[in-house]
Amino acid sequence: MMNPLRIAADEWRLWYRSRLAMVGLAAVIGLLAGTATITALRVHTESKDRTEGQVQADEHFLTQPDRHPHRMIHYGHYVFRTPAPLAIFDPGIDALTGDAIFLEGHRQNSATFASAQASTNLGGFGALTPALMYQLFVPLLLIAFGHSVILRERELGTLPTLLAQGLSTSTLVAGKMLALVGLITLLLLPALLVLFFALANGASAIVSLTVVLSYALYLLVWAAIIMLASLTSRHRSWALGVLLGIWFSWTLLIPRLGATITRLRIPTAGKIEMDLLMQEDIRRAGDGHNATDPAFVNIRTELLAQHNVERVEDLPVNIRGVVAEASEAALTTIMNRYANTRMRLEVSQAKAVTSFGWLSPPLALSAASQTLAGTDLATHHRFLREAEKLRLDFVQGLNRIHAQQLRYQDDIDRSRNTEAEKRTRVSAESWSLLKKFSFSRAQANDRISVAFRYWMMLIAWVAGIAVACGLATRRLAP
Amino acid sequence: MNTPLSTDIALEAKQLMVVRSGQVVLQQLSFVVEKGQIFALLGGNGAGKSTTLLTFLGFLPPTAGAAYVQGLNVEQHTREVRQAIAYLPEATTLYTHLSAQENLSYLLTLAGRQIDRAAIDKALDTVGLPTRAHAQRLDAYSKGMRQKVAIALALLRETPILLLDEPTSGLDPVAIDELNTLVQNLAAEGRTVLMVTHDVYGACQVADRIALLHNGSLVGTFSASKGAPIDTNTVHTAFKEQTVR
Repeated sequence: MMNPLRIAADEWRLWYRSRLAMVGLAAVIGLLAGTATITALRVHTESKDRTEGQVQADEHFLTQPDRHPHRMIHYGHYVFRTPAPLAIFDPGIDALTGDAIFLEGHRQNSATFASAQASTNLGGFGALTPALMYQLFVPLLLIAFGHSVILRERELGTLPTLLAQGLSTSTLVAGKMLALVGLITLLLLPALLVLFFALANGASAIVSLTVVLSYALYLLVWAAIIMLASLTSRHRSWALGVLLGIWFSWTLLIPRLGATITRLRIPTAGKIEMDLLMQEDIRRAGDGHNATDPAFVNIRTELLAQHNVERVEDLPVNIRGVVAEASEAALTTIMNRYANTRMRLEVSQAKAVTSFGWLSPPLALSAASQTLAGTDLATHHRFLREAEKLRLDFVQGLNRIHAQQLRYQDDIDRSRNTEAEKRTRVSAESWSLLKKFSFSRAQANDRISVAFRYWMMLIAWVAGIAVACGLATRRLAP
Repeated sequence: MNTPLSTDIALEAKQLMVVRSGQVVLQQLSFVVEKGQIFALLGGNGAGKSTTLLTFLGFLPPTAGAAYVQGLNVEQHTREVRQAIAYLPEATTLYTHLSAQENLSYLLTLAGRQIDRAAIDKALDTVGLPTRAHAQRLDAYSKGMRQKVAIALALLRETPILLLDEPTSGLDPVAIDELNTLVQNLAAEGRTVLMVTHDVYGACQVADRIALLHNGSLVGTFSASKGAPIDTNTVHTAFKEQTVR
């Protein structure tokens, strides 16, 4: 029972006495700590900026003077999404998707202010984050440390000496594996610090723990494949070459291949193409600014009949407001149809890409990590939907004010009659109908249950490689 | 497959055949080593001497026949067998990142023996390793010094059986004499020694019995008569005949 621990301790002693290993380990831990600090500071600043941005946007909207309600619809309003607490560990796709949306009538604007558009990121590479460090670079350190754990005993001839002490090959492999697990634990310490910081900033404890476990599981996949290479290779150069080939395939080749295949399998129309198609449908739905547009004849007829009057001027409501409300509802249905189609396609593409996690553990981990951190595509879609709900609420609220508080005749005359124009201004107090925007991410349990799907991929990898290691251990001989 | 053996028999090779990479390395090899005996396997390069030791350790499975250690079939009781044997490999294979003391402490603990530092130092003194070298890492050691550490390890295992593969390799003449005395003392304590060598003179000096191997087969055995060692000339002549043939 103690022998695996003794073997692990000796492996650690060897690493400790190797200056190169210690320098490498210190460099990676330093880089992890540095990346974590920089990312945490950046996300903290973004969070502060967005919170302040939201306060300012709210103030700007609410402090607008008395105005025609439709002008306020076009004046619009910004909503911001503050970064998830766990974004300090894995910012996910936040840098690409944008974190603010300008809400206005008749339009569903895209999210803006994506940090990937900032000049510092225009080199084509994303910023180095703790998540990326663990996904890409920590495995390289594990390879450097671990590729020779068994191979070295064979090369130096210490394997027969060890086995001649009555040690079983499984004890030896267990000890070496324990050494790698110890190294993984050490390398996860900076991640734990980051996650403690996230916890202090409101991250869910269970989700934070699951993030650490996901990375531990991922690095365990690497430890297992490294062990397998060390068990089955005859030369260090061979083991190292095979492992670097696996690293290249898993981290670079398969994810890009997956994305390319997915684009071919599930093509999506470009934004401009989609927008043109949507504009065509919107045109057919009529112009809500024009109450006489043939598209709204039915509304006019129904209203006149309902109130038993001959002329729109005699209606108790302003038909222009009613038409604007109906038009906005019709436009929103069209825009939502396009938005939902686009989101469904994006989800299908994302699912298709992450299904390559069965071939590439980094893909599986990345999907689990972004899901848990709340920086994934689903969270972005949730932001778009919540923002759209707010947009429709405030636009329709203003349209109703338009219909109920403004006289039709004043509305017609306001461009040529100053007094009429004054009467079409509604009190600024009405702007308080705008609800405060507070983006809510998916519940911890929901995120964990989605991430479990990706965990299954990692567990399958560990199990498969463990079986292969078991077979190789049985065949291990001096 | 277990053969009832006399309790006096420490090692037995029975119709042993080993094939490695399609080549027959041992064939029809049979011999017994009694407890407390020093048994030397003599032969030229490629005679199968080291293979015989590796088969007794369970590192090489026999293609046919069987090897027994204290009555236990090696293939079926590999773990118990290895615990009963201290093995000194031909090329001294110890950890160069560790000192002599650390090597012994580590390997002995893995073998299930808790030996204190004083006992380790005493064993290193016994094999003639300078005291100042005890705490030095092995990467600064000569081949002979490493060999002494390996011998100390074999001694500290305190097993009933010692398998020594070219134990005098790398040692100076004084150290060889000291080793031979040590081996004889161990045998006098009742421990069995199976050693592999191509040093005819050395084998005749210490061994109670010598088996001459050629191309994996036993081609002659020589025993010491009471009080007199095996005649070097006789063995040397037989050895030359076999290797020149």
